[in-house]
Amino acid sequence: MSSFFEWLSTSPWANAMNGPEWAFPVVQSLHFIGFAFSIGTIAIVDFRLLGWALPSQSTAELAADLDPWTWAGFALMLTTGPLLFSADAVTYHHNPSFQFKMVCLLAALLFHFTIHRKVARSQAPPLAAKLVGGLSLVLWTAVIAGGRMIAFV
Amino acid sequence: MSIAASLAWIESTDLSTAIREGALLYPVIGGIHLLAIALFGGMVLVTDLRLLGWVMRSRPVLEIVRQFRPWKWAGFAVVTVSGLLLAWAEPQKLYRSPAFWVKMALFALVGVHALGFRARVYGNNARLDVAETAEGKLSACISLLLWAGLIVSGRLIAYDA
Repeated sequence: MSSFFEWLSTSPWANAMNGPEWAFPVVQSLHFIGFAFSIGTIAIVDFRLLGWALPSQSTAELAADLDPWTWAGFALMLTTGPLLFSADAVTYHHNPSFQFKMVCLLAALLFHFTIHRKVARSQAPPLAAKLVGGLSLVLWTAVIAGGRMIAFV
Repeated sequence: MSIAASLAWIESTDLSTAIREGALLYPVIGGIHLLAIALFGGMVLVTDLRLLGWVMRSRPVLEIVRQFRPWKWAGFAVVTVSGLLLAWAEPQKLYRSPAFWVKMALFALVGVHALGFRARVYGNNARLDVAETAEGKLSACISLLLWAGLIVSGRLIAYDA
């Protein structure tokens, strides 16, 4: 398994990431812009589920309207993320903050495509809606916190 | 007091030292700065996408602009306060960073943008209740470019050391 990460960190795209000085920060900036799209649109739906914003639309309408942009964000994250990881795969996969982030990401994505989707698209009772919106925000916040701490552990 | 002396004084304050040298405080404040992009960036994004007519076309433009406005202000407050704290921790490094000054110029342009488009777009122009307008689309494009620029220049500050 460790040879996979070694191979990854010397792959052509990893070399491209580690080549020019601007490569890593530009890809990382796109990573941030990507989560403004994905987590940003999910957060809007979550605030609606919590009853804090946008009362004029139903949650279902909002979720359906924003879904393509959430997907655009996911597409950006799923390309920039692995690129960033490959730049130093051996170090990152040992990093406890990165591991925490990946666990939270998996949980967040699983939650998003199952319970969150179901509740957002239906007329769920207010308590269920609030719990789902709140949990979604907590999970995605944990992903960002995990990402943030990678450089500090 | 000269600029150099002022910056040195800032770095000598307890607050500056606490953020700069505290194990958790610096990454947490930076994390809040990033979190604001995630939680409030969507509000800026969707306002601009609506002005462009690319999302939520069934709702009037002004309704979307108005509904997201308080959240955009909240996000703006969070990034500004966390940004000020980050700057207070390392003013000398930021003063020497070209990326930081690019970011500050863009930040000033955000203010100019808001004022400049107030009459035609954000100040409840009734024409936007009917359809998207050219000024609305221009305003949205500039907004998206400014915020993308802020994110990129912000990221590049760390590489100016």
